[in-house]
Amino acid sequence: MEFRTWVQGIFLVERICGICNTPHTTCYVLTVEELYGVEAPPRAQYIRTIINELNRIHSHLLWVGVLGMEIGFWSYFMYIWRDRERVMDVVELITGNRVTTSAMLIGGVAYDITPEMEGPIRRAMDYLEERTKFYKKVFETDPTIRARTQDVGVLPTSVAIDLCAVGPTARGSDVKSDVRVDEPYCAYGEVPFNLVTYPTCDVWARAMVRIDEVLESINIIRGCLDKMPSGPIKLRLPRVPPPGEAMNRVEAPRGELLHYCKSDGKEKPYRFKARTPTLANIPALCEMLKGYYIADIPAIISSIDPCYCCTERLIFRDINSGKIWTMSYDELRRYSLKWYKGNGGRRN
Amino acid sequence: MIDVLTALFNLLIYPGLLFISILGLVYEWVDRKAVARFQNRMGPFHTGPRGFLQPLADFIKLMAKEDITPAWADKILFAAAPLFAIVIPTFATLYIPIAGKPVLPPFEGDLILIISLTTFFTITAFIAGWSSMNRFSTIGAIRAGLQLLAFEIPMFIAVASVAMSANSLCITTIAQKQIFEIQLAGTTYKILLPYALLQPLGFAVFLIALQAELERVPFDIPEAESEIVAGWLTEFSGKKLAFLRLSSDIRLVLGTALATAIFLGGGNGPILPPIIWFLIKATIIVIISAMLRALFARIRIDQLVIGAWKYLIPLSLVQLVFTKLLMVVM
Repeated sequence: MEFRTWVQGIFLVERICGICNTPHTTCYVLTVEELYGVEAPPRAQYIRTIINELNRIHSHLLWVGVLGMEIGFWSYFMYIWRDRERVMDVVELITGNRVTTSAMLIGGVAYDITPEMEGPIRRAMDYLEERTKFYKKVFETDPTIRARTQDVGVLPTSVAIDLCAVGPTARGSDVKSDVRVDEPYCAYGEVPFNLVTYPTCDVWARAMVRIDEVLESINIIRGCLDKMPSGPIKLRLPRVPPPGEAMNRVEAPRGELLHYCKSDGKEKPYRFKARTPTLANIPALCEMLKGYYIADIPAIISSIDPCYCCTERLIFRDINSGKIWTMSYDELRRYSLKWYKGNGGRRN
Repeated sequence: MIDVLTALFNLLIYPGLLFISILGLVYEWVDRKAVARFQNRMGPFHTGPRGFLQPLADFIKLMAKEDITPAWADKILFAAAPLFAIVIPTFATLYIPIAGKPVLPPFEGDLILIISLTTFFTITAFIAGWSSMNRFSTIGAIRAGLQLLAFEIPMFIAVASVAMSANSLCITTIAQKQIFEIQLAGTTYKILLPYALLQPLGFAVFLIALQAELERVPFDIPEAESEIVAGWLTEFSGKKLAFLRLSSDIRLVLGTALATAIFLGGGNGPILPPIIWFLIKATIIVIISAMLRALFARIRIDQLVIGAWKYLIPLSLVQLVFTKLLMVVM
C-alpha cells in the first residue's frame, strides 16, 4: 500500500477480501475523503449505500448457504446459492462486474444508477424478499437445523461485550452494535431501517440475524431508490491529499471494519492499516468453542463468518516460556512432515 | 456340464457379481440424478446419455489414481478392508431373489445371515478407519461403531415382525408369502398385498434405519465431510477408494433389494417378468432414500443414538406387538 498511489490503493484494498470488497473500498475512500476534507455528492452516497447493501445481501445469503453445508444440509445450500445469483445479476447490471465491483472512487462513484435500472432492481428485490422469507421459515421450523444450531456455540451477552465481538456475531448475542446506526455514513442516516438482534446467543441466533438483515437490506435499497437525489456522482479532486491522518469505520457484512490512513503530503500513503471484522471476532470464537462436540465445530466456526484471507496472520506462543514466534507456510509444512514422521504413529 | 456352466453364469454374470456391480453403479446414477433434481441441479450430465456412465467413469478414474498407504497404517488390515467391504455386501446380495430366485440356494434362516452380514460391514468400516491411524479416520471409525448401536436394533425388530407375520426366516419364502389367494364368485384371484401396506410402521422404521446403515444424510455421521474430512474413508485413495465406493453402491443394492423382497413382495407382479418388477420397486426405494437425503441436515451422533432409542425402537416394538396381536386374533 505504501508503495502505491492513493488511487491505486482503492483497487488494492478491494482485494483484501473477495466477498466483502465493497465495504473495504467504501471505508478507504471515506477515510481518504476525510483527509481531503470533502464529502462525496449526495447521489454518490446513495449509490454507495445501494452497492454496499447488495454486497451485504450476497454475503449473508452465501453464508447462510454455507452454514447449511456445514451441518450437512446440501439442499438448503443449493437453493440459496441459486437465488443469490439474482443479487449478482443486479450488481452486474449496475457496475458491470459480478463480485469485485470497482465502483468506488475517491470523491464519488464510478457508475450511476440510471432510471432504466430501477425496474430490474426492484423486481429482483421483490423476488429475493419472497425467497428470503421462505428460507427464514425453513430455518425457524426445520427440526434437523434446529437440533444442530440451537444451544450450540453460546456466547453470552456480557462475554460478547467483554471480548469486543462485532457485527452479526455481537448482534446474535443481543448486543446493539452496528456502525450504520451508531455512526451513520453514506446515506444510512437518511434511510430508515431496524437494528436486528436476537437474544438466544447461539449459532441459530447469528443465522437469524443475518437472514433478517437481508430483509432489512432489501428495504434499505428500496428506500434509497425512492429517495435518490439528483446531481453529480463524483468530485474532481487533486491527486494528492493534504498531510494528516484519518480513521473510519464501516459496517461490513461480517462486522465492523476499520481503516486508518496517514498522509505526509506525498503521492503515496505514509501509513495504512486495516482491521478486519474476523480478527475482532476471533477471541469470541475461542470462547464459543468451549465445551461442545467435534460435530459442532464447523457450525460454530462458520457462525462468525470467518474470512481467512483477511485474517492471514499466524503467531505461535509457548504458554510455558512465553516465547512468541511466527512461521512461514514452508516452515509450517516442514514442521508438519517432521511431526508426522517423529510421531511414531501415535493417535494423539 | 451345462449345470455347472449355468451355475457359474448365474454366479458371475447374471444375476451374480457383474449384474450386482452394474446395478450398483446404475443406482448410484439414479440416486445422484434424483438428489440433483430435488436440489434444483442438473446432476451428472456429461458422460454417456444424461450422465448415465458417470459412476463408471468415476470408478475407472479412481482405479488409475495413485494408491497411497499412510506410513504408520496397519498395512495388512488397511489393504484388507476394501476387500471385505466388497465381499460382504456382494455375498449377502446373492441370497436375495432379485431375478425370481436367488443365486445361492435359499435356506430357512438366510434372513438372519444377511442382517448379521450388514453388522459385519460396520465392523469392516471400523477396521478400515482404525487401521489408517489417522485421527479423523479414528473418529469416523468410532462413530461408525456407535451408529451401529442406534440403527441396528430397530431395523432387526422391524424385520422380525415381518418374519413373524410370514412365519418364515427365509427371504424367498417371505417374498412369496405376500401373495394372498382370494376366492370370489367361484374363481381364485391371487393378489399382492405387500408388508409395506400391512406393516407401514415397520416399513418406515426400516427405511430410516436403512438410511443410517448406508451412511447417507441425515445419518452420514461416520463420514461427515465438513466435520472429519471423510471419516473412516479419509486415508483411502486410488484403487482402494474405488472399491470402497463400489462397495457403498453394492450396499445400496443390498439394502433396497432386502426392503423390496421383504416389504414390497419381491419380484411378484402381473404381466412383467419378476426381474423387471423387482427393479421397479427397488428403484422406487432408491428414490425415496434420495428424497430423505435431500430433505434433512446431518444430525449429531448423540442425537442419533438418543433419537433411535427414544423413537425408532419403541415404534418398531409397537409394530411387533401389534402384528402378534393381529395374528392371535385372526
